[in-house]
This record gives sequence, structure tokens and C-alpha cells, in this order.
Amino acid sequence: MNKTFLSLIVTLGVALALHFGVKPMFLPKEPTMIFNRYAFFIVLVLSIIAVNLILRLSPVMTMKAAYVWGLGFYFYDQILYPHVPWTLFITYMMLWTIGTFLYISQDSKTFAEFREPIVKTITGEFKIARYIVFAALPVLVGMGTYKFIYPTYPEPVELRTVHPAPPATTKVHGKTYTLEGLQNPYRVDEQDNYYEGGTHLPVEGKFPFLDAESVEYMKYVTEGGTVFFQNCHYCHGDQLNGLGMFSHVFNPTPANFVDPGTIAMLRESFLFWRVSKGGPGLPNESTPWSSAMPPWEEHLTTEQIWKVVLFEYWYTGWHPRTFDEESSSGGEGGGGH
Amino acid sequence: MTINKKSIKPVLGFLGMAMMLVLPSVALAGVPEPIQEDKLEHGKKVYFKRCVWCHGVEGGGDGPSADRLFTRPRNFIQGTFKIRWTDSGQLPRDEDLERTVKNGLPGSAMPAWGEVLSDADVKAVVQFVKSLVQDRDFKDEDEDMEVMDWGGQKNGENPWGVTGPYFTGVPEEAISAGAELFKKNKCFECHGGEGRGDGNPTMKDDWGFPIVAADWTQCWNFRGSRRNAFDPFNVVRTISTGINGTPMPNFREKITPEERWQLAAFVNSLCPRKNIDPLVNKPVTDFLIKSKYTVGPVAPNMDDPMWQAPEHDDRLPGYERSEEYVNNGGDQFWHYIAMGGQITRGERNFDPKVDNLWVMSRWSDEEQAVYYLVEYHDRFLSTDPEFPDGVAMQWPGQLEDLFGAEKPYFIYGDSKKPVDIWKANFMAKDYNPTNAPNPAGYDLDISVKELVGHGFDAVEPKETPGGVEIVQSKFHQGRVKIMFKRSLSTENPNKTDVQFPIANYVPVSFMQWSGFDKEHDEHMAISTWVYTILEPALPASLNYMPPIMAIAFFGFQLWLVRMTKRTRDMVKDGTWK
Repeated sequence: MNKTFLSLIVTLGVALALHFGVKPMFLPKEPTMIFNRYAFFIVLVLSIIAVNLILRLSPVMTMKAAYVWGLGFYFYDQILYPHVPWTLFITYMMLWTIGTFLYISQDSKTFAEFREPIVKTITGEFKIARYIVFAALPVLVGMGTYKFIYPTYPEPVELRTVHPAPPATTKVHGKTYTLEGLQNPYRVDEQDNYYEGGTHLPVEGKFPFLDAESVEYMKYVTEGGTVFFQNCHYCHGDQLNGLGMFSHVFNPTPANFVDPGTIAMLRESFLFWRVSKGGPGLPNESTPWSSAMPPWEEHLTTEQIWKVVLFEYWYTGWHPRTFDEESSSGGEGGGGH
Repeated sequence: MTINKKSIKPVLGFLGMAMMLVLPSVALAGVPEPIQEDKLEHGKKVYFKRCVWCHGVEGGGDGPSADRLFTRPRNFIQGTFKIRWTDSGQLPRDEDLERTVKNGLPGSAMPAWGEVLSDADVKAVVQFVKSLVQDRDFKDEDEDMEVMDWGGQKNGENPWGVTGPYFTGVPEEAISAGAELFKKNKCFECHGGEGRGDGNPTMKDDWGFPIVAADWTQCWNFRGSRRNAFDPFNVVRTISTGINGTPMPNFREKITPEERWQLAAFVNSLCPRKNIDPLVNKPVTDFLIKSKYTVGPVAPNMDDPMWQAPEHDDRLPGYERSEEYVNNGGDQFWHYIAMGGQITRGERNFDPKVDNLWVMSRWSDEEQAVYYLVEYHDRFLSTDPEFPDGVAMQWPGQLEDLFGAEKPYFIYGDSKKPVDIWKANFMAKDYNPTNAPNPAGYDLDISVKELVGHGFDAVEPKETPGGVEIVQSKFHQGRVKIMFKRSLSTENPNKTDVQFPIANYVPVSFMQWSGFDKEHDEHMAISTWVYTILEPALPASLNYMPPIMAIAFFGFQLWLVRMTKRTRDMVKDGTWK
């Protein structure tokens, strides 16, 4: 039997057996286990080489090139994790194809060897191969055309600005606030030093946060928490992670305050503005028409809004961004962080 | 008692295990685990940071948010816990409470605390919660505790060996045997004839607060099912242990463990397999409702094959080639739209009774009309004409003037961008929620109003309605089905009607009012903006382009052969240089 043909059969056999028999065992249960996939790929490549060596099959250059190219395709399509986008996949495969050509054309002898069966197929020396290839390729082209022009309607993508620039001033309950330099009136200590101090720890049988003897800061946090759990947790969640009972309904989804990309990088004055004005107060690039965030000034007092902001920082353990002294005192050149 | 309890426990456990080996249907007996005092201080800290807001200072289920939640947060004082492996009325094991804290209770506000709390935190807070129980004592020698067994199945196993995430392949015999058990044990008295929880409108929990029976067709809302909504084990556990504090009894005397699995197979089979978002444990909303191109008129009858679609999502593993889909020609889909309470403006609704809608659509080239079939589960309808049930579709009134992703405000539009609202109000004819269900379902006394919204406080009937019709409507076993129809374009003198361009994305959103729960006006359930698209007919080029390209390629091959041969001949002749 033709050794090249035999090599094709055993190589395909090994590859299929490993793909269906062994690969499932190597697939990661968790993304952290991705090295398993690469180990499997090495096993696959070594098995193919070993089978060809042991059986003393030395396939022609064309077949070798096909193996190399095919293994590259398999790697990028099946092994690489997480999956790369289609455009990136095409780029990788172009590079890989160039690499395969470099391997083929290392000298004129290998290149001639690579070319020979192709030319023979075209000129008709390999008669059956020619019939098969020349019949199959137009059919494939027809099918590809069909697939290309078949209309599909993917879900439209909507982009939005998550943290828009706040306005210079905002009017809440008839009073105008300049956001630059605006501080939370209930924040007793910017570093929340009272919290770890222990004076607010539970007193037997009493709601510790409502205990008259506890420090002022915890009193405001408790009041803010009460407002939060009466109004906000339905969307932002009991854990403040944006996964409340209604969170899956809305698009955009409610903000996750635990994430370092939200309140941890914002000023309290920004939160005051966002909470007061809600979705309708957003600029156009933040798709105000979609946001379910209420303009909370319709439901809450200014004091309650500040206390909720205080509570959100306490609960998540973040500290708000602050103004540097120059800018908060109205000096020039401020605004840096 | 002279024997130290600590030393007797392993002995009891060993005896229990030995008994289980001999008699697989005997439950494991024991005593409650006493409170671990050393963890209380730690647990108290966790409780007063994370839990107090719903469960209250003394664990009475009366925290600040309690009044706005349905169902209410658990009251710990009586020691009544829902999700346990112990028998009805008994105290839970520590393990049960830890599992509940870690996994949360789907369909309620209780989140999965395992996401943020460490194991030590969870263990400690469970000890603290046990210390909040006043009416019973975990140290009481008379408190029995029998751990249910599941017919010889270990945790995570089922008799059919089917596995998740979607648990497909439960044998048909088990399901039909379960259906018989469902009738025999009268489960329909609470859970309704088709399992949508529509059996009894007057149920109350032990504290007198109204509650509803589980809707089996929405298993992702089963308490105690988190991360495994489709696992039949959740059902077996509930049948075996009952749910303390609710009218759900246990069935350990009436139903053998083997039969419990069969009943679970039946209950489980009612729940459509949908792609579940693991973060919120709910099906993922279909952001795009595809309206199918239809040759000739659309059937005005929802029983027509044109309107049949598989319950299960065919895109899920195990359902790619589902029989119902193949038989149906793969034409239609149910699109899932999540609904939430309107908690933004005016009189807010924190506990809507309907949390999703299912939508299907077709449009007809011949009729130049579009049809939307809207379906949702609502256990009971209103009988009070002052609070009729309602469902509405909302569209941008002047779609052609919107730029890019721009839309009107999602509740009733705004002053610059009006919305077009098709609102159907209805009452079921000859219906009373306490009557035995009518097997034929109920016809609806339904009327459609076209409204134009220019903002939250400016919603008015249209001066020139665009001719929206209700083609058909039905209420059957806790399920409402309504079919809307409108022409693709209208005369539109006041520019208040949406016009439907073909193959363009058109924003749409939904509103729903449950009259039985006195929802009205802005006190409603809403969805966010999603899109719909009228899919055009397949292009004619699909018929002729592929053969043309194939023939062209064949010509290229002939040319290639010719050129290769010519080059060869030239090389042979020596004319190639």
C-alpha cells in the first residue's frame, strides 16, 4: 500500500481517537486549568510523529505540510483558550500558513516534492484524485456562497458611557450644589476610622447601629442602610454587587458597587449627582432612555441621599476619591488626583 | 443522662448508616446540633452587617426591606426553616442552613452569600441565626431530628443517572408514572392542573402573610434550587421534607421514595430548559424578537402549527435536534422577556407577580401586517372591574426621527420622543379564582386601547388610533395568551403610530398589570427596551448565485489545467525561460 496513503489513515485515526477519546478528560472544568489543554495538544503532536516514525512511514512533503497546517488550525480552533475572535483567528492562521510555506520552501528539493502531487493532480496523472478534487471544489464553493449570502440578523450591539462627566453644578430639591469640592456632610472621618475602633460593636439585645451610644458615623450608616434596603437593593442587590432581584431585567444592568471600577474610583459628589438625577439625568452618550435608575430626589430627601452614599462606601469597604486640598479650597490648578 | 452526648453521636451515626445499608428507606435519626457558642461573636458581626437589613434585629423577619418583599424574609424566632433535609416541623441541621446561606433562595431576595462570605463567616452566621431562635431550643433533648433519605440515592445522584446542567434523558415511564401520582395525591389542589401554582388563591403562611404555590414551569424560582435549577433532586427533597411555615406538607407516609423520584421526574419535565444566567439564576432575556416572514395570511388561531414552538431552547446541549423542533420545521421560537417591578417613578411596585413574558411573532407580506403572540403566567386573574388585568406593548412613536440607538424614555416616553402604547385590558368571562379550573380555559373580555405617552404624567388616548387588533386571547390554567395584530404602516396623521420598516431593528418594551394584586396605572411590571425585527423573505439570489459561483469556479479549474499543461510543454520544449 502507498505509504503516504497509509500515513494519512493512521494519522487521522490517531487524531480522531485522541480528539474524541482523550480530549474530554483534559478539558478544563475551570478556566484556571487551561494548561491541561496545552498538555493534550503536545500529546497529540507527539503521538502523530511517533506513529509515523514507528511505522517508518515517510509521507511526501505535501502530506507533511498538510499535517503541519492542520495541527495549527486545530490548535487555534480547539485548544487555545479562551477562544479568540474570528478576525484574530484569521490573522493567526495567515501567519501559520506563511510559516508552513517557509517550512515547505526551505530548499528547492522540498518545494519540488511539495509541488509534485499537486501538479500531477491538475494535469491528470492522478486521475481519480483529479476527478474528486475537481468535482468537490465547485460544490464547496457553491455551498460557501450560499452560506455567505444567507441573511442573518444578530442581536444589535449597544454601546454606552458608563461614567459620564458630571456637570459643574446640579440643582437638588431647589438648592444648587457645585460638585467640585462638594463633601458628604455625614462623613465624620474620611478614612472611616470609627469603623474598626469597636465602639459601635453590638450592645447586647439592641440594634447595634441604632444604639444611641454608638458613634455618629455608624448612626448615619445605619440610616443610609435602611434607605438602601427599602429602595435600592431590588436592583443593586443585597450584596451591592448589582445582582438584585430585578437586575436581570434591565439593560444597562445595575452598577456593581463591589467592583473597583465603580464607586471606588468616583467622588462622593459624583454619586450624589447620579443618585439625585438617576437615569433621566444622564447625558445622551449614557443612553438615559434605557436606564431604570430613578431620579431619587423624587423619592428621597437630600439628607437620605447623602446617607445612602455613606452606607455604600461603608458596606463595600471602599473609600471615595477625594479632592486635593487646593481644588477643594477653590485654588487654581486643582482637579488632579 | 450519664452518657456524654458527644460520644454517642458517632455511634448513632454509625447505627444509622448500618440501618441504611440494610433498609434503604429508613431515615437517619439524630438530635439537633447545639449552638457553638465560640462562633457567636463572629457570627453576630456578619449578621449585623449583611443580614439585619431584611431579617431584622431580633431575626423576626422584619428588617427595613421586609414590607416591600414578596415573599417576606424568614422569621427565625420560631425556628421554622424551609429548606432542610430533616422532617416536617423539625429543626434543620447546620449543614442545611449553611447551604441556604451559601446558595441563597432563588425566586426570593435571598442572595447566594457564598459569593462574598468565606466558609468561616457562613458557619459563624449560621450559629448566630440558631441563637435567634427563641421558641425552640437546639439543646432540647426532646427535639427529634430525622434526616430524610432519597430512596438509596446519594447526594447528587438520581435513579436514572441523568446529569446536569439540563438533566435531559429522564425516562418517559418515570414521567408518566409521576403524572399519575400527581393526580392521586391531589397536588393540583395547590399547584394547579398544569403545575403553574394556580390551585389556591387564599394560601397563607404560619404568620398569616399571603403566599403562593410554586410554579413548576419556572423551576429556576424554586427555593433551594440555586445553581441546579433543573435537578430533579430539588423536587424530591421538597416532597420528602415539606416546607416548614407553609401549607406544603411532607409526603413521606403517602409516597414511597421511589415514587417521589417519579413525581419529581414529572414536575421536572414541566420546566422548559432555558439558558440560565448563573449570576442571577434566571433565564437570559432574548434581546431580539424575530418576526417570521410568512407567505400568505398569518393564521389567526394560536393552535395553528404556525404558532407552535418548542418549549425548550434548541440551542442548548441536548436539544439541538429536539423532536418537537424538527417536526415543526424549525421555524418558530419563544422569546423570553424578563420583567421587573416599576420602581422608578410614581407609585412604585416592588413585588410584581409576573416576572417574565414569552413572545412569538410573524408578519405577512400579503396582509402587510405584523402579529405578536404574548404569553405569560399569572396564577389568578382579577374579578374586580376596577382593577382589570392588562398587558401592553410599547414602541417609539416616531421611530424615523431617532438617531442610532436613541429611544424614548423606557417608561411612557418623554416630551421630545413620544411612545406608542398598545394596551390590552381584560377580564376572564365566568371566572372566579376559587372555582375549580375550567378544562377548556376561559375566554377573555378584552379591549385594546392605543395610547400615546409624552412622559410619565402625559399618557393619553390617541386621537387617531392606528388600528391595533386583538386577534385571539385565552386564559388557561394560570396562563394568559394574547395575540396582537397591526398593519405595518398606518395613515399616521399625528405621527404617533410606530411604522414597521422591514429588516430594521425596532425597539419594543412590555408592561403588565396583575389585577388580582391591584396593580394599576404606573404600579406595574415592566421590561427594558428590547428589539424586534421583521425578517424579510430569503433573497432570490440564494437560488442562482451558488450554482453560478460553482460553474465559474469549474471554469477556473479548466483554465488552470490548460495553463499547467502549457507550461509543462514549454518546459519540455525548452521554450520556457
